Amino acid sequence: MLNWTLALPEIVLGVSGLFILLGGVIPKKESFFPVSMAVIGALILAAVLVLGQGEGTAFLGQYVADNFSRFAKVLILLGAALGLLLALDFNEKAGLGRFEYPVLMLFATLGMMVMVSANDLMSLYIGLELLSLSLYVIAAFDRDNPRSAEAGLKYFVLGALASGLLLYGASLVYGFAGTTNFDRLADALSGDDVGTGVVVGLVFVLAGLAFKVSAVPFHMWTPDVYEGAPTPVTAFFATAPKVAAIALLMHVLIGPFGDLSAQWMQVIWVCSAGSMILGAFAAIGQRNIKRLMAYSSIGHVGYALMGLAVANDTGYRGVLVYMAIYVVMNLGTFAVLIAMRRRGRALEQVEDLAGLGKTDPAMALWMAVFMFSMAGIPPLAGFFGKLYVFLAAVQGGFWTLAVIGIVTSVIASYYYLRIVKVMYFDAAPDGALDARPASLTVVMASTGLLTLLFFLFPAALIGAAQVAVASLAG
Amino acid sequence: MSIAPSLALGLPLGLGLAGAIAATMMKRGVAQAGAAVAALAFLLYLLAAPGVTETTDLRFGFWSVPSLGVVGGLRLDGLSLVFVLLITGIGALVLLYASRYLKGDTRLPRLVTLLLIFMVAMLGAVTADDVVTLFVFWELTSLASFFLVAYDHEKPGARKAALQALLVTGGGGLALLAGLILVAMAAGTTSLSGIIAAREAVLAHPAAIPAMLLVVLGCFTKSAQFPFQFWLPNAMAAPTPVSAYLHSATMVKLGIYLLARLNPVYQHEAFWQELLTTAGLLTTAVGAIYALRESDLKRVLAWTTVTALGSLTMLIGLAPALSATAAVTFLLVHALYKAALFLVAGIVDHETGTRDAAALGGLRRAMPLTALAAVLAALSMAGLPPFVGFVAKEIIYEAKLATGGAAGLFASIGFLVNAAMVAIAGLLSWRLFFGPLRPTPATPHDPPKSMLAGPILLAGLGLLAGAAPSLVGAWLVDGAVAAMLGAPAAVPLKLWHGFTPVLALSAATIALGLLLLLAWGRLMPRLRRASAFDRFDTARLYDRALAGLVAWAEGTTRLVQHGSLRGYMQVLLLVAALGPLAVLVARGGLDLPEAAPLDFRALAFLPIALGAIAAAVARGTLAAVMATGLVGFGTALVFLTFGAPDVALTQFTVEVLLIVILATVLIRLPVRARDVRTGRQRTVDAAVAGALGLSVALVLLAVLAAPFDPRLGEWFGAESVPGGHGRNVVNVILVDFRALDTLGEIAVLAIAAFSVIALLRASGRGARVGS
Repeated sequence: MLNWTLALPEIVLGVSGLFILLGGVIPKKESFFPVSMAVIGALILAAVLVLGQGEGTAFLGQYVADNFSRFAKVLILLGAALGLLLALDFNEKAGLGRFEYPVLMLFATLGMMVMVSANDLMSLYIGLELLSLSLYVIAAFDRDNPRSAEAGLKYFVLGALASGLLLYGASLVYGFAGTTNFDRLADALSGDDVGTGVVVGLVFVLAGLAFKVSAVPFHMWTPDVYEGAPTPVTAFFATAPKVAAIALLMHVLIGPFGDLSAQWMQVIWVCSAGSMILGAFAAIGQRNIKRLMAYSSIGHVGYALMGLAVANDTGYRGVLVYMAIYVVMNLGTFAVLIAMRRRGRALEQVEDLAGLGKTDPAMALWMAVFMFSMAGIPPLAGFFGKLYVFLAAVQGGFWTLAVIGIVTSVIASYYYLRIVKVMYFDAAPDGALDARPASLTVVMASTGLLTLLFFLFPAALIGAAQVAVASLAG
Repeated sequence: MSIAPSLALGLPLGLGLAGAIAATMMKRGVAQAGAAVAALAFLLYLLAAPGVTETTDLRFGFWSVPSLGVVGGLRLDGLSLVFVLLITGIGALVLLYASRYLKGDTRLPRLVTLLLIFMVAMLGAVTADDVVTLFVFWELTSLASFFLVAYDHEKPGARKAALQALLVTGGGGLALLAGLILVAMAAGTTSLSGIIAAREAVLAHPAAIPAMLLVVLGCFTKSAQFPFQFWLPNAMAAPTPVSAYLHSATMVKLGIYLLARLNPVYQHEAFWQELLTTAGLLTTAVGAIYALRESDLKRVLAWTTVTALGSLTMLIGLAPALSATAAVTFLLVHALYKAALFLVAGIVDHETGTRDAAALGGLRRAMPLTALAAVLAALSMAGLPPFVGFVAKEIIYEAKLATGGAAGLFASIGFLVNAAMVAIAGLLSWRLFFGPLRPTPATPHDPPKSMLAGPILLAGLGLLAGAAPSLVGAWLVDGAVAAMLGAPAAVPLKLWHGFTPVLALSAATIALGLLLLLAWGRLMPRLRRASAFDRFDTARLYDRALAGLVAWAEGTTRLVQHGSLRGYMQVLLLVAALGPLAVLVARGGLDLPEAAPLDFRALAFLPIALGAIAAAVARGTLAAVMATGLVGFGTALVFLTFGAPDVALTQFTVEVLLIVILATVLIRLPVRARDVRTGRQRTVDAAVAGALGLSVALVLLAVLAAPFDPRLGEWFGAESVPGGHGRNVVNVILVDFRALDTLGEIAVLAIAAFSVIALLRASGRGARVGS
C-alpha cells in the first residue's frame, strides 16, 4: 500500500523546503532572516502535522509512522527550530547570514524525520545521507575560517567512511536475510541460528550508526568538529541529529534485530561504558567550552546507551526520557555559549565566563541550572534522566554498567561545577558581556524553566515515552 | 488537639520557599523577616507535636510517579520531630543573629535566601517518607551549603573549601542514591516506612551488604565521619551564622538522621554495629586530637563537632535501648550548646577582631552577657550537673559500660575524649573570659540584643532541660527512640543516678579535663608541630587524588584526541577490522568452505591482487589511480569469467567513467603529490590495512561456508519469462520488475548532470574572480 498521506509531515516539509529555497535564490538581496523565519514556520507546521499523524506503514512498507516516531520527530523538530533560533543573531554578526543555512537545516531535519520513520534499510540510508550531506556543508559553513573548514573536511571524510561501513553491513544483511524490510527482517532473523554473515553485517551497521551518535570508539570527530564549527552549528549537531541517530539505532536494534539482542547488547554495553568514561575524564582538562561540551555530549550518549544495553522496556523508556531532557538542557547551554560575546568578539574559553554571576545574574542563573542539571543534581531534570537509566540498569542486573555510570557522573560533575564556580566566584577580567538578543533569552528562559520545573510534572514526558516504547516493542 | 498534617508538614516548606523568594526582593529587615518565617515554621511544628508520639505519626502525601512505583510523601514521627524543631528553632535564632552580624553587607539578602532554601531542604529531608524525596532534598542541602561556604568568594580558601565540601558530600550522595535504589528494590517500595516494615526482604537480598555500605558511605561523608572528616573544619570559611547553623546543628546531622532512620532495618546485623562503632570511635578520637591542635576558635569548635558526630554514630551502632536514648539526648544537647558556642565565637570575632584563642582572655568585664552565655554552654559541653550535658554524658557512659566485651575499650577512649572536651569547654569559657584582659585589635563590648538572644536562649535551654530531664524525655526523646528501634523502648532520663561507677568516671573526666586546660598553652603548639598527625590527614589524600585526576585526564586526552585525521581513520578502520573478527571468535571459530577445484578462472583474480598492492605502494597520485583502475578491470574480468557478461560490461563502463573523472580532477592537482609519511607511520598504516583485509577475507570465507539462501535468485529466474517476457534476468529486473527504480535513477542522473553544469559554471566564475 502506498498510503502516502501518512507521510504528509515529511512531504509538506520537503515541498516547503524547495519553495523556500526558490524564495532565497530569486531575490537579489540577501534574505537570511525572512528565509529563517519561513523555515521555522515550516518546522512548526511539520510538528503540528506530526502530532496529528495517523499510524501505519506507507510506501510499500518502507515508511512507518507510530508513537515512537512521533515522539522522536517532535523532539527533532523542537531541537531544529530552537537551534535555528539560536543562529539568527550569531550568523548575522559572524557574516554567516546566508539563506543557505536555514535551508540546509530544513533538509537535515527532513533527513532526520525520514531516518526515524524508516522501516527499511533503504529508506534508512536515504534519510541518513540527506542528514549527513547537509551536516557536512553546515559544519564548514564558515569556510573562510580554517578551523571550520577543517571541521567540515574531517567530518566529511570520517562520515563517508562510516556511511560506507553501514552500507557494507546493510548489503551483507540483505544478502543473507533476503530482504531489507524491517518487518520481514525481524521474521527472517527470529530463528535460533542466524548466519555469521548477518551478524557481521549487524556489526558494520552498528559501527556506522555509532559514528552518527558519536559513541566511543567512533567519537574522535566530535571534539574537533564541535570546536571548529560555528557555535550555532555545534548547538545543532549536539541536539537534533543526536536524537535522530539514537532513535534510529533503537528502531533498528529493537525492530529487525530484536531477536539478536544477545549479540548487540554486548556491543552497546562496551560503547556505553566507553563513552561514559571518556566523557567524564576527557572533559576535565578542556579549557575551550565547545570542546568541553563535545566530551559532555559523548558522556551523555553513554548514559542514554546504558538504557539500550539493558534491552528491556524500562531501559528503552529511559533512553527516550534521557534524550528529551538532554536536548532541552543542551539547547539552553548553547544559548548561553552563543551569548558569550564581548565587544563584538565571540568567546569560547571557560575563563571568559568569569564574573558572569555579577555582570549578568540572569544568564548566570540559567547556566548554573543547566550545569547542575547536566551534573545530575536533583531536583533538576538531568537527575531524572540519569535516574531512569540507572534504575533500568540496576533492575536488569547490569551492576557494572550502573556503577560505571555513577562513578563517571561524580567525576563529570567536577567540570560542570567548575563552570559554576568560575561564573560566580572568579573575578570578571574584562567587563560585562555584550547585550544579548531577545531570541537567545527566549531559548534560555524556556529551556531553563523546563529543566528547573521538570520534577513537578514528570508524568507527561514519562507517559509519552512509555507509549512510544510500547509501539516500538509491540 | 493537633493541627492538620497538611498544615504542619506542607506549610513550613511553602513558607520557607516563599520567604526565600521574597528575600531576594527586600532591601531592609530581610534577616528579621527570615527569622520570622523560621519561627513561624517552628510554631507550626510545635502545634503538630502532640499528634506525634511513640506510636503515632502525621502523614501528608503529595506526589507520585505511578510508572515507577514511586509514591512520595512527608511524614512526621518522633525522630523527625526532634530534627524539625532543631532546624526551625536554631534557624530562627541564627537568622536573627545574622541580621546584626552582617549588618550593612549588601549580600545579606542573598545569604538569607540561601539559608531559607537550606532550611526547606533540611525540613524536606528529615520529613521525607520516601527515598527519592529524601535524596532530592539531601542533595539540595549540599548545594545550598556550597553557596553558603563560598559566601566570601573573593577568598581562594573559601572557594576551595566550598568545592571540597560539595565534592565530598555530593560524591557520597551519589553512593547514597545507589544504595537507596538497591534497598528500595529489595523492599519493593520506595517508602521509608515500607522499607522498615520489609526489613527481612531488605536483609535477604543478595546485594544487601553492598547496599548497606553505599548508604553508610553517603551518611559518613555528610556527617564528616573518618576518613571524610577533613571537609568540615575547612568549611569554617563560611560566615559564622552559617557555621553555627549548617556545620554544627543541622546539615552534618543529616547523615546521623539517616543512620538512625534505617537503624530498625539493620540494628541486629553485627556488621552494621561493628562498622558504626568503629568509625564512630575513630572519629571521636581524631576530632579530639585535632581540636587540641587548633587555636582558631571556629576550627576548634569544628573539630569538637567532628567528635560529637563520631559519638552519635557510635551510639547508633551500639544497638540497645540505652544507647539509642543516649544518642537522641546527646543530639539535642549538642545542638543546643554547640550552636550557642559558635554564636559566641562569632560575637568574640566580631567585637575583638580576632578569633585566635591564644590571643584572647579576660573578656568578662567588657562583655558580661556574652560571658554568661559562653559559660552556660560550656558547662553543658563539659557535662557538669545540673546541665543537660551531664545527663547526656552519664547515659553515654552507661551505654558504653553496658556493651559487654568491649566496654573497657569504649569507656577508656570515651574517657580521654571527654576529658579533651572538658578542656575545650574550659578554653572557650574560662580562658576567654576570665583571667587578665589581653589587648585585642578592637575594643570589645557586648553586642546588641539580637545577637545575644541566640546564644543566651540556647545555653539557657541547656540548663532548663538539665533541671527537668524527664520532661524532655517524654516530649522528644521517647518518640525518637521508638523510631530508631522500631518499637517504644526509651530509658527514662534522670539528672541524679546516685553514687554509681558512672558518676566516678564523670568526676575523673572533669579532673583530667581541668589538667589539660591548665596545660593547653604549652600542649597546643606542641601538638600542632607534631607532624605525625599531618601524615595521617586524609585531606592530603583528597588533594592528591584531585590533582592526579586532572593530570591523568589531560594526559590521556592528549593521547587519544591528537587531532590527526589519519589517526582517527586508523582507529575507525581498526575497529571495523576487529569487530567482525570478534564475531568470528564469539561464534566459535572459522568454518572453511569446501575447496573448489582450481582452474584457469582463478587467474582473473590476479589483476585485482596486483592492482591493490600497486595502489598501496604507488608513490604518485596518478599511479595510484591507475592501479585502482586495474582492480576495477580485474573485477570485471571476474564477472566475465563466471558467466555474467552484462554485469562485466557495466563494470567496464563505470570503471572508464571513474578514471576519466579522476583524471579531470587530477589536471587541477599536482601530479606528483609527495608521500609525507615517515617510515613508522607507513608501517602502522600497512598494519591497519592488512588487518582490515585479513578480517574481511576471513569473514568472506566464513560466510561462504554457510549455505547460500537461493530464494531471491530462484524467484527471479522462474518469473523472468512468464512475468517479464525476457530471458536475460538482469535486464528484466532493470526494465520490468524494478522499472520504477530505473526511472528514478535516470531522473537522479539528469539532476546530477544539472548540478555538474552549475558547478562547472560556478568554478569558472570563481577562477575568474580569483585571477
